Amino acid sequence: MTEAAARVLVIDDEPQIRKFLRLGLEGHGYAVLEAASAGDALRVAVAEQPELAILDLGLPDREGFEVLGALREWSRVPVLVLSVRNREGEKVRAFDLGADDYVVKPFGMPELLARIKAALRRRVAPAEPVFRVGGLEVDLGRRVVRVEGAEVRLSPKQYRLLQVLVSNAGKVVTHRQLLGEVWGAVHRDDIQYLRVFVRKLRGRIEADPARPRYLLTELGVGYRLRTSDQLAGLA
Amino acid sequence: MTPARDLGSRLAPYILSAASVAVVGLAAYALTRFVPLPHVSILFLAAVLTSAALSGFWPSVLAAVLSVAASSYFFYSPIFDFRVAEIQDIADVAVFLIVAALTSRLAANARAQALEARRRQETVAGLLAFSERLAESEGDAGLHAAIVEHLAAVLGAPVWLLLPEGGGLAPAAASGAPRAAPEALCAAAPRVMAGGEAALPGWRFERLATARHPVGVVAWREPASRPDAEYLRGLLGHAALAIDRARLRREIAEARIRGQGEALREALINSVSHDLQTPLAAILGSATALESLDERGERGVQRELVATIRDQAERLASDIENVLDLTRIRAGQIAPRLELVELSDIVNAALRRKQKALAARALEVALPRDLPMLRLDLFLMEHALANVLDNAAKHAGAGAALRIGARVHNGEVVLDVTDDGGGIRAEDLERIFEPFYRSAASAARPVPGTGLGLAICRAFVAANGGSVAALSEGPGRGATMRIRLPLAQDAAAEGASADD
Repeated sequence: MTEAAARVLVIDDEPQIRKFLRLGLEGHGYAVLEAASAGDALRVAVAEQPELAILDLGLPDREGFEVLGALREWSRVPVLVLSVRNREGEKVRAFDLGADDYVVKPFGMPELLARIKAALRRRVAPAEPVFRVGGLEVDLGRRVVRVEGAEVRLSPKQYRLLQVLVSNAGKVVTHRQLLGEVWGAVHRDDIQYLRVFVRKLRGRIEADPARPRYLLTELGVGYRLRTSDQLAGLA
Repeated sequence: MTPARDLGSRLAPYILSAASVAVVGLAAYALTRFVPLPHVSILFLAAVLTSAALSGFWPSVLAAVLSVAASSYFFYSPIFDFRVAEIQDIADVAVFLIVAALTSRLAANARAQALEARRRQETVAGLLAFSERLAESEGDAGLHAAIVEHLAAVLGAPVWLLLPEGGGLAPAAASGAPRAAPEALCAAAPRVMAGGEAALPGWRFERLATARHPVGVVAWREPASRPDAEYLRGLLGHAALAIDRARLRREIAEARIRGQGEALREALINSVSHDLQTPLAAILGSATALESLDERGERGVQRELVATIRDQAERLASDIENVLDLTRIRAGQIAPRLELVELSDIVNAALRRKQKALAARALEVALPRDLPMLRLDLFLMEHALANVLDNAAKHAGAGAALRIGARVHNGEVVLDVTDDGGGIRAEDLERIFEPFYRSAASAARPVPGTGLGLAICRAFVAANGGSVAALSEGPGRGATMRIRLPLAQDAAAEGASADD
């Protein structure tokens, strides 16, 4: 298994958390690199080129965001963010800076392992010309969307929204990112408009828009289009 | 135990050893009648091994000596004579003694480990059972009775509980016997309460104390059975916490009556920090028990201890979250950020968060497609709803089905969370929203938690301009939590229903 040999960089200033992550991850076949500060983190990331990084945003001096920003200047390594409930603003900022996923503390090892697996799988999966999840099919080449085999007509903006989600399938895309990609930088803060828009898109592609299976809401953060692995409950 | 029985039980292993040698001897004798065996003595190893494994070192030494004697007397020529004195005999004795020593040592270790693991497990289980029993008790009198009765059962002796009253200590409860305690008991107790020793022959005293202060004294008549010291300490610690918690709850009630906001807040926080100690005690107990097992410890015991740690840690996490919410509410820190949102997003997020608690239940979610978007604070509402789901999962009883439905009615959205479980008594419908209130029904079937969930829910729903009420036709007839939320009155919300 290539995934199991992956090296994971754990960036956290709390020794107990690092210890628990190291024991848990090594127990599942990952090699663990540790960093207790922003400086350490960047040094190790450059020298070792890990396959994935776990970043605790709760660093005392807000270095977490700086690490993420600096990392993203030269690296596409998947970054999984650890955050505390009730700090949604923090989460949003991390995603806007390029984080791949987040786990809310306190969390259990099985959840973390599932997220790591998913992030690593997304990293190696090549982009397919046709995206499929459940009964939803998006043919990016021919710009055709089908639900349970029947073609669905979308407005150009609706298609563009879906396209952005498909190209980030499995990942959370923040409100700002979606607004920026679909409507341009000026509209980045019009979250209310986006919600109305998603409601309409769901009406087209979901069997029960109130219990969506494909287009999920990450409360206060953004939206996520499930991959078929995620739909099957793997992540 | 009488001296005669004591002697008997000490001799039993030796008798068993002698008997096993005799059995092997007979078997060997029968066998040699048909098959010529050059080394009969090897058969006697069985007797030595059995004695060593079952009875320990000295009985197995006896078995070894008897075995060598028997084999040389009965089997080696000249038979019926001890004079063999061959190298064979000396070798046999040496081998038998080594086997006896090694086997008995290994067996004793294994026995001791198994006993220790069981003792640890019983300690943790016993403490959990005790704290559950205390949580079930009703009122101060019920709590005090539960304490003395449980201790009396463990100690096998009458137990008195003495608590502070009017500057001194007075008997609050006694097991079985009349509550009136001997004069000498009341006279000796204050010294114990102050941390000293009481010299009263025939009695044993223990102080009940939390980490911060003493709360009372228990006394029992000697002779009593002697439970494991750590276990007894654990029981006394739990009793002290429970008594202190009851006192704090009383203070909450009094503070509420007096309407002293500051005192109420103080009392609430004190009480909650006590509630947090119960799961913490279970975690610490299980973790140290786990530590004391080595790799060879029973797998089943390990799993059970790990499961306890996990469950209690999850409980602690959700309790702490409630406490943080409560402090935010009390500090007047909830400033809702109202924005136009989908109610279904909130419902789905709350369901996802409570996935584990709801896993075993039949769940039906029926939200109409055309439900208008609402102006709400996402997180406060998600939290309020998660607490309602949590409450239903805990109180509706195993197997109760859950239904979430919504409709528009009279300028409001009405969100119902309905279960077909145990129901709520009419007099409790309003009171379950009070912090720490527990209905008599839930006292009979205790559920974990701080008793804050619904109080927090009400505060959060109110911050969103809504209201929440409990409806039930009575015990056994299910219950509904009804949340009413105002419809958004603005153009953006109107636009949401139009097509682009």
